[in-house]
Amino acid sequence: MKLSPKAVPYRAFKRASSVVFMAAVAVSSGATADLMAPLAILGLATAAVVAVIGYEVAYYQRFEYEFTGDTLDITSGVFSRRERELPYHRIQNVDVTRNIVPRLLGIASVGIETAGGRETEGSIQYVSASEADRLQREIDRRKRGADTTATTEAESAAEEELFALSSSELGLAGVLSFDPRVAGILTLVGPGSIPVLGGLGADLSLSTVAVALVGGATLVLAAWLLGAVVTVINYYGFRLVRTGDEFRYERGLIRRYSGSIPRSKVQSITVEDNPLKRLFGYATLTVETAGYGPGGAGGRGSQVAVPIAGAERVRALARDVEPFGEPTFDRPPGRVRRRYVIRYLLALGAITAVVGAALSWASIQAPWYALGLLAPLVLPAAHLKWRHRGVWAGPDHVVTRNGVWRRSIKVVPYYRVQTVVDSRSIFQRRYGLATVTVDTAGSVSVLGREAAAVDVAIDNGVSLRETLGTRLNDALQERRQTAARGS
Amino acid sequence: MNRLHPRIQVVWGVRAVVFAIIIGVVGAVATRFTSLPPWVVGGVAVTILVLGLGFAIARYRRWSYEIRDDALYLERGVLTEIRMVVPFVRIQHVDSRRNPVERLTGLASTVVYTAGSRGADVRIPGLTDGEARELRERLKQLSIATGGGDDDAV
Repeated sequence: MKLSPKAVPYRAFKRASSVVFMAAVAVSSGATADLMAPLAILGLATAAVVAVIGYEVAYYQRFEYEFTGDTLDITSGVFSRRERELPYHRIQNVDVTRNIVPRLLGIASVGIETAGGRETEGSIQYVSASEADRLQREIDRRKRGADTTATTEAESAAEEELFALSSSELGLAGVLSFDPRVAGILTLVGPGSIPVLGGLGADLSLSTVAVALVGGATLVLAAWLLGAVVTVINYYGFRLVRTGDEFRYERGLIRRYSGSIPRSKVQSITVEDNPLKRLFGYATLTVETAGYGPGGAGGRGSQVAVPIAGAERVRALARDVEPFGEPTFDRPPGRVRRRYVIRYLLALGAITAVVGAALSWASIQAPWYALGLLAPLVLPAAHLKWRHRGVWAGPDHVVTRNGVWRRSIKVVPYYRVQTVVDSRSIFQRRYGLATVTVDTAGSVSVLGREAAAVDVAIDNGVSLRETLGTRLNDALQERRQTAARGS
Repeated sequence: MNRLHPRIQVVWGVRAVVFAIIIGVVGAVATRFTSLPPWVVGGVAVTILVLGLGFAIARYRRWSYEIRDDALYLERGVLTEIRMVVPFVRIQHVDSRRNPVERLTGLASTVVYTAGSRGADVRIPGLTDGEARELRERLKQLSIATGGGDDDAV
């Protein structure tokens, strides 16, 4: 099968626009001393555009994909040819993206992810929107082993809507997506920088303080609005459906994404909230696979399954994906609060010292030591940090909970555990603590977003490590037996 | 628990010496252009050297690994102690390799790969060439015996 013929003009347009842009920059820049230069550049640009169109026509003619017995074969390339076979059962997820122009043209780009590689393994740009939909369904069906070309009508009839985001929920998602830490940073940085810009006055008059406060508030408000707008654009018209063993979602206002997540490929699920969401009883659900997420999902192979919904609803949906039951979290020992108090005091001391040094360097007389008044806040902060940590080893899943500003509850089925790491830093050892990290397959996570039981007592850490190891083997054995019975 | 070959201390020690020399040379150049007193540079370089050598020894003492019933288990780390469990079922492939320094000292490493995101490659250094090959073979066999690398992996 071939790409949509409309792919040629759009691909050429995308590629040529950068050429034209560069030419325009060259013409408008000072590099046009004599009159011939702009003409030469125009000529070159025209030649480049013609070459681009020629290339794209050739690309279209030489691009082919085909469903075979076990694999999806993609043959592509103009100068260097590539023949790629993607085994159906190795495919993690299939994503369809429609940007604004492709939507007008009625075409879509299809991305097929396997667990290997660092980028999208099968990229089909572009096919007609209906063909994209058919591809997604066809791959899903082949993956399940049915290689008959049954009618798609019967398939879509079995579609069950799990969740649809109403416009009020979308608005809420935007408003509540705000991270309070951003406000904190902005209020710290904002007033600090504005008087310096203002006039470098040696004394802080009342008016500069007012300006600083108003400026800080404006910054916070702007950040909030921006975040809300981004969220609304990303999750506009969000819908989650289930067909058989597969979840499928659609979202986006300008760029429209639709992705499929096979249940059998789910590595872990995460329920996230922040203080605002907790206050109003809302939460976010994320599902991780070993593939790569489409743009905007952070490229961590995770996909937001539900951007916002009532906390109860989110938990019910999460249990629908992974039936993990009702976790009863074990908190770390109470002594970790002392550790957090010391850590926060040190951080506060460092910030105070830096601010003080910066102000005296700029010769601004300001009561920087007033930051020390924040010291008592360290106590509730440490308590909250401790309160929101927890771990639970359930019958089939391990569940961890961490974070106050961005609390995430991670659920990992035992049979998905890859490695278990028990680490004890020099500071943790003083308190007899350890951190047990449960690694699952997935893209590289720089931010350390794995499921981790942080600061558990060493004995508990050791038993958790051992439990995870044995449960993994038990769970795998059980799965094999069921699979053997099933076939 | 298996220990590493003691000669690995030499490899790590040499690395510490090289690092201290680099710091010393950079510092020596800096004294020419700034008012940095030479004894500070010397002190820093010597401190780094002593710490680095101490670390090389401590690292060797803390490193150990073991092949358990169903997993590879290893302990390492000086400041942060790390204990890692790599189930055989999760092993994707195993390498044994030797870099130039290792070849010079007659040592080798075995690297175990999983599909995980964090401990995706686990390296056991300080093995003799024979040991590294043997460990690779053994892990490969164990991985196959437990059905590693099949569809359950991802």
